[in-house]
Amino acid sequence: MIKIEDLSVAFGDTEVVKHVSLELPQGEILGVVGESGSGKSVTALTLMGLCAASARITTGRILFDDVVLQEAGRTCDRNLYRQYQGSRMSMVFQEPMTSLNPTQRVGRQVEEVLRLHGSLTREEMRERVLNTFEAVGLHDTEKVYASYPHQLSGGMRQRVMIAMAVILHPRLIVADEPTTALDVTIQNQIIALLGEISQKQKNAMLFITHDLNLARRLCHRIAVMKNGMVVEYGRTEDIFGNPKEEYTKKLIEAVPSRMHRRRPVANVTKKEDRGRLDGAAPVLQVRDLSVYYQEGNNSLFSRKKKQCVVSGADFEVYRGESLGLVGESGCGKTSLSKAILGMNRDIQGKIIHAAPRPQMVFQDPYSSLNPTKTIGWLLQEPLRAACVRDQALDMTKADMEAAAHDMLHRVGMGDDYFHRKPSQLSGGQRQRVSIAQALITKPGFIIADEPVSALDVTIQAQILELLRGLQEELHLSCLFISHDINVVYQMCDRIMVMKSGRIIEIGETEALFTSPREAYTRLLLCESA
Amino acid sequence: MERTAGGKWNKYLAAGIFMTGLAVLLGIVGFFWTPYSTTAMSAAEKFAPPSLRHLFGTDNFGRDIFSRVMQGLGTTISISSLVVLLSGTAGVFLGAFTGYFGGVADELVMRITDALNGFPSILLTLVIISVLGSGRQNVIISLGLVFVPSYVRIVRSEFIRLRDADYIKRARLMGVGSFRVLFVHILPNIFSVFWVSVMIGFNNAILAESGMSYLGIGVQPPDASLGMMLSDAQGYLQSAPWYALAPGLTIVWVVLGFSLFSEGLRRQIAA
Repeated sequence: MIKIEDLSVAFGDTEVVKHVSLELPQGEILGVVGESGSGKSVTALTLMGLCAASARITTGRILFDDVVLQEAGRTCDRNLYRQYQGSRMSMVFQEPMTSLNPTQRVGRQVEEVLRLHGSLTREEMRERVLNTFEAVGLHDTEKVYASYPHQLSGGMRQRVMIAMAVILHPRLIVADEPTTALDVTIQNQIIALLGEISQKQKNAMLFITHDLNLARRLCHRIAVMKNGMVVEYGRTEDIFGNPKEEYTKKLIEAVPSRMHRRRPVANVTKKEDRGRLDGAAPVLQVRDLSVYYQEGNNSLFSRKKKQCVVSGADFEVYRGESLGLVGESGCGKTSLSKAILGMNRDIQGKIIHAAPRPQMVFQDPYSSLNPTKTIGWLLQEPLRAACVRDQALDMTKADMEAAAHDMLHRVGMGDDYFHRKPSQLSGGQRQRVSIAQALITKPGFIIADEPVSALDVTIQAQILELLRGLQEELHLSCLFISHDINVVYQMCDRIMVMKSGRIIEIGETEALFTSPREAYTRLLLCESA
Repeated sequence: MERTAGGKWNKYLAAGIFMTGLAVLLGIVGFFWTPYSTTAMSAAEKFAPPSLRHLFGTDNFGRDIFSRVMQGLGTTISISSLVVLLSGTAGVFLGAFTGYFGGVADELVMRITDALNGFPSILLTLVIISVLGSGRQNVIISLGLVFVPSYVRIVRSEFIRLRDADYIKRARLMGVGSFRVLFVHILPNIFSVFWVSVMIGFNNAILAESGMSYLGIGVQPPDASLGMMLSDAQGYLQSAPWYALAPGLTIVWVVLGFSLFSEGLRRQIAA
């Protein structure tokens, strides 16, 4: 039995974990759910004895079978921890690419755990590693054993990480967002695997996630954390069936699900009506589009290889419509959007724009705003560029400033942000500014590439709400790219499903959800249910 | 003065500002006024050791070494500044265009800079000086040319890193012109990296200028220069060690001061 009793952890003078008490009996999976900055990771790292040297335990203690691993007023005993780390407690991290050493074969890396903790011969170790690989669902184990991390897919890497964590049958496994970096279908496999392992090996598992749905599927108990405190703690059924805290309710509601259907754009209900009502061509027509990608670096002497990443895409986007594009990573979603925006000229087929200058909202709010400029400057820049291009467009400095202020209000931000820099804004606020920047020239058509994937659940809901509102207000057409079919369900009138560079299905949202034609669509739908 | 995030004084920056400031001040004053004329000889005061009358002593012609160090500082610092200005500006332009656009021009410029890097810098300046002739102006041109590749490399790699940043992609989507993307959107973002390289480049310029003057291919007499004084003092190392120590320690002072200054600045930016 592992116990965390009244634990508080502080960095300097700020407490990031406050009086947290958790229990982990054998064979049980405890989910710790919370948004970024809620203290869930610090709790886990402290439990594992991996916290930064600047972290200090101010109250409470951590017990492992009645042995006090850490307590307030005692510095972390590295030697004591070394007896537990790896053999009796182990960890699976979020990013499988950076958690494995890129210069070593993965078999050797997993073997190292055995070398450090056991006295097996080389042959025995190898045998054990191969068996464990098989147990975590890796096929062709000999080949995986001899592979380098970059030769494996994200899902396989995460399986290797899990193999490394379970090979010594530890009493406790801490999994810190183990599926966040993976595709939905892979996510489900990993979750199933973790559940299976905990059932078989009867180890206690601490599962950290920001995704309530995942926690719901895997965990026996759930602790909801906010600002370093556990606000609600109980059995999974109770938390979901009868949440007591306001915050828990908010979290559950914010999760994109098929309960909230997008209101169809006013007076445009049926596909065949759209063109007629507008009496004009669609905003965007894509005709038999293929997109190619040059492999190899742009050196003078290397031969360039052409690879087809999107083939035969054929669709249109109508005015005021939002079209969803779903598919797993690497299926060509981003290549398609780049081609539509003219950022990749290596194409065949036709792209016909009715809107002159489509804009884009990117996934990562931290890299989509220039860090050296103020928010006001950033919002005016598209207008300045428009004035340079089009002499007829005569805007004075005051006009631009007024437009920027207006747009800032529309995305729900006050005037006091006008002179701030992006570094002073949160992720959600940055995404709002990104949206404002994309919309300030009234482009008529935008592409949103996973605009909420990098944000916390509650912020996600706010940004989606904002996008919906703006779309209706400005009669905006939108190509909405996401890996999360539930988000698309909420946002879009029609949905396209993409697989390995081909659009395999396209249809009205409701129709696609109730009667999908393709097997792959059915798979996507049931994986994310 | 600014304070670092830790609440401690940034000692590197403070020491750097003090040392560099003093050297620059002496150099500037040296242009207009020196305690003694830098060319006035005095047979009676040959090799006078440092005293209150002659702070750093006198040389083989009885000239006041402190006055000559002041003038030499002015020469060295002004030449180095111009060298950095020249090579830095050229480096920013070449690096920005090659890094952002790539292609054949990039390949060409990079191979030329590789070729320039292939020669020892002192040998290269020697060749350029022998073609152009000696003199203050030609020293600046030759050193400026030799230092361009280092700036091109740094600026180019930063532009390559940033040209694919999401905010640059978006700027292009907005229809911002290439020139504006280069110098308004990207350039300010490489400032911190570029600034530190300018500081290091300045130090290298000081050392290179001194080296050239020492070899007699730099500033010509009767102008004073720190390197030339070192070479003159070589013959009197035992009889009048202060003659060599004065310019030598001054070079160390300036270079150390600038190193501290740039290190302090780097830490300040990081904090």
